[in-house]
Amino acid sequence: MTKKVNPKLLKEIKKYGAFDISACFNCGNCSAVCPLSKEELSFPRVMIRHAQIGDKQSILSSLEPWMCYYCGECSSTCPRDASPGEFMMSLRRYLISEYDITGISKIFYRFPYIQNIFVIFIFAIALITFLKFNGDFGSLAAKIELVFPFYITLYIISYLFIMYKKTILDRLKKFVVSLNPSNIKNMIVHGFTQKNFIACSEKDYVRWFSHLLVMSGYILTLIISNLHILEPLKKQYLLFTPLSVLIYYSSLSLIAGGSVMIFRRLFKKGQSSKFSHSTDWLFVIMLFLIGLSLFLTYTSNIVFGADSNLLEIIYKINIAIEISWILIVVPFTKWIHMFFRPFAIYLNGLKKENSQVIVEEI
Amino acid sequence: MSDNNLNEAQKRVGVYVCHCGGNISDVVDIKKIVDEISKYHSVVVARDYVFMCSSNGQSLIEDDIKNMGINRIVVAACMPSLHELTFRNAIQRAGLNPYLYEHINIREQVSWVHKDNPQGATSKAILLIKAGVEKVLMQDPLNAIRVNAEHRVLIIGGGISGMRAAVSSADNGIEVVIVEKEKKLGGKLNRDGYVYPSDEKAVDIVNKFSKKILSNPLIKVYTESEIINIGGYVGNFDIKIKKTDGDIDNIKAGSIIVATGFDHYMPYDGEYGYKKSDYVLRLKEFIELLSKSDGLEFVFKGKKINSIGFIHCVGSRQNEGIDAPQADGKVNEYCSRVCCTSGIYTMNKLKEKFPDVNVYDVYADIRTYGMESESLYEIASKHDVIFFRRPLDERPQITFEGDKIKITTTDILSFNERLEMEVDMLVLLTGMKPSEIDDISGYLKLSKSTNRFLQEVHPKLRPVEMNINGVFAAGTSLSPMDITESLQSAQTAAMKSAILLSNPDIPLDPFVAVVDEERCTGCGRCVEECLYSGAVTITEKTIDGNIKKVAYVNPAMCKGCGACVAVCSERAIDLNGSRLSQFEAMIDAIVKE
Repeated sequence: MTKKVNPKLLKEIKKYGAFDISACFNCGNCSAVCPLSKEELSFPRVMIRHAQIGDKQSILSSLEPWMCYYCGECSSTCPRDASPGEFMMSLRRYLISEYDITGISKIFYRFPYIQNIFVIFIFAIALITFLKFNGDFGSLAAKIELVFPFYITLYIISYLFIMYKKTILDRLKKFVVSLNPSNIKNMIVHGFTQKNFIACSEKDYVRWFSHLLVMSGYILTLIISNLHILEPLKKQYLLFTPLSVLIYYSSLSLIAGGSVMIFRRLFKKGQSSKFSHSTDWLFVIMLFLIGLSLFLTYTSNIVFGADSNLLEIIYKINIAIEISWILIVVPFTKWIHMFFRPFAIYLNGLKKENSQVIVEEI
Repeated sequence: MSDNNLNEAQKRVGVYVCHCGGNISDVVDIKKIVDEISKYHSVVVARDYVFMCSSNGQSLIEDDIKNMGINRIVVAACMPSLHELTFRNAIQRAGLNPYLYEHINIREQVSWVHKDNPQGATSKAILLIKAGVEKVLMQDPLNAIRVNAEHRVLIIGGGISGMRAAVSSADNGIEVVIVEKEKKLGGKLNRDGYVYPSDEKAVDIVNKFSKKILSNPLIKVYTESEIINIGGYVGNFDIKIKKTDGDIDNIKAGSIIVATGFDHYMPYDGEYGYKKSDYVLRLKEFIELLSKSDGLEFVFKGKKINSIGFIHCVGSRQNEGIDAPQADGKVNEYCSRVCCTSGIYTMNKLKEKFPDVNVYDVYADIRTYGMESESLYEIASKHDVIFFRRPLDERPQITFEGDKIKITTTDILSFNERLEMEVDMLVLLTGMKPSEIDDISGYLKLSKSTNRFLQEVHPKLRPVEMNINGVFAAGTSLSPMDITESLQSAQTAAMKSAILLSNPDIPLDPFVAVVDEERCTGCGRCVEECLYSGAVTITEKTIDGNIKKVAYVNPAMCKGCGACVAVCSERAIDLNGSRLSQFEAMIDAIVKE
């Protein structure tokens, strides 16, 4: 089978960040040093070459981009400074926008300022509406927070379906699933521990630790908001209770982890922080703000009491931030990687089980 | 010197065996050699040393000559081409005739080839040294032949190498004659476009050199002229130059620099689609086209060019059975070395002018060697030139579809997938082949390599020197090289020629044929056999009142090859330094054991 070279694809992918990748001359040092690249899932070189010759089919059906946790060793080894790590990151952005049926990701990634404007716009609308709202804001907040899990679940399902279609269905031309327990266990273990990420950046403890803080802090915040555990306008909280520990941990983790990440991006510490796509900034700043507003909401409740006006304003800001975060940031940025990665591991297992079929296909 | 009259007892031989730092002594038992050789007849002293060529080693020999009256020297060491001269100079410094010396090679011919058999190697070394002793005992003192030299150099070819050699020679105060067949000096550099790495216009470089040459009173330029004969020998070459008007000039020169350059490889009709479409160009043609093209769009013959393919190694690194053979039946196996860099340099120029043109580059290996050139390759990548690496034994296929040219190739970089790309234009990076200089190499009897370029005596030990004394080669007549390298070799050739002509007379090795006029019958078979026309001739001589035909050897032209010795039935001709009687004695020494 002869493949047709298409120079447009690389130009397209470059719009998602991989500014230096043209310099690549396919030496393969990146794949050789990568601690995660394996024989059957080899990257970044293979991916870069697909992009250079414009083999869009192979890119769309690749699981490799999700195996990369961007430790940056490839970029620091690259003899031509082609930043293969940043290329893999850009490929994930590209794939998200290719897998997004709404097409919104594409617009946000390629014109990042639009996303920023939307974030501020939604935040402003929500805040103004809340401030004008004179009713029982506590109950309204409860209803809003109930909608979040539905919205996100819907988005994730659509993503995963398209991913399944491109990587499995389109290649095997039939519907297959795997109920192999080791496959499912693998997916769950990777999903919760992100253990490849730890394996990958062994030497960069600060990065690993800040990610751990943000990850755990964020998951707890998610639980707090989705289960609507916190009702600051209705209940009076105390300085030290089991709940307060939970709130302190999650909010301070986000503040501390977010600050470290902002600092690393500002001063370009480590390979993975050298290049900051506009969406990267949005991501870390929003995390920081979520943590900060949660912390202030809880402490205001303790200091000023549940019926304080100041508390209500702070809580309204907190919910407005959450709204723009959930609506505009979560489905379109790195956050979603959390779901793509374990699913990619599952799909890879599925692919392996059906490799006989693929071989026959070729 | 009275050495000739020494009787056997007065000949005192010193034998010096070198360890070569282990190269020899690791295999050969040096102690045993020294023990055995010191017992051999006429050997007064036998010594060994770790590096005989070092100044300490040389002093051993010099001291023995001065203190022990040694008057015949045998050194057993590496190959003579490395250090024969070293020891000859040492002997001369000690006041002995430097030719009373024999160099035995016990490294390349013994220790390196008989690693597995040290005992056999040791006995072989002993035999060879004994034979050397026998030879040196029969050696006569010789004196270097000296010939007068014209203080003038002939430079054949007025390209960049010829011009550089001319300027350097004239800077050394040597008269120069340049012969150029074209109307203008400059050769292949008389073209549009720029040259790497200095990014200068090609014609600017030509003009700079031309100006220097034409204003220099020491340099005489013949343009639109050709050489119709070269005779003579080092120091005294006779050259006939045919000028535009048909007149013939005779000039004399002490040395010759051949700077005849290269020809562009011409693809045969249909090779990669050449001549089947106006849009298949050679690199040279493309460079000229590009330097004439301006504006926002790249348009050629009414077609907008959106994509261009470049094919490397056209006419170079060919494989037998895959590529069509050249006129001599062979394929060009060599790498032309400049096409990669020149091609990629041109792609960068193209991308600077027309950044939207897609460029595809199909190569086997990228060889942008040199300090600056690797960065050209990197810049090309950054310009989004897409590179495809084909297997060495496959060629990209070219087909025409409408007004598109389709390139199909296996790409190693893409995991050996078959890839195809459609382009509007195809550029062939054609290589170099040597200029047709059969006439000149014929007059001078220059040797050529299997690749048809001129061959140096030794690329490392004697670069730019031809097999004929006093003849040097420069630039791409030797091998494919870029302008920088051509200039370097031209400079080297000019310096070697200047060193040669720096003395009023030139010393030559005395190992030439000598005629025993009494035995010679003047049959002329030696003349027929001689490879160097004019080295041996038949003359009439008065001997004992009778006029007799005898052979005469011109020592300046004789190479000492010995072809005449082999055919002489009268044993009337012999070789200084390698007489038949010496060989007989050597063989006797070897078979005696």
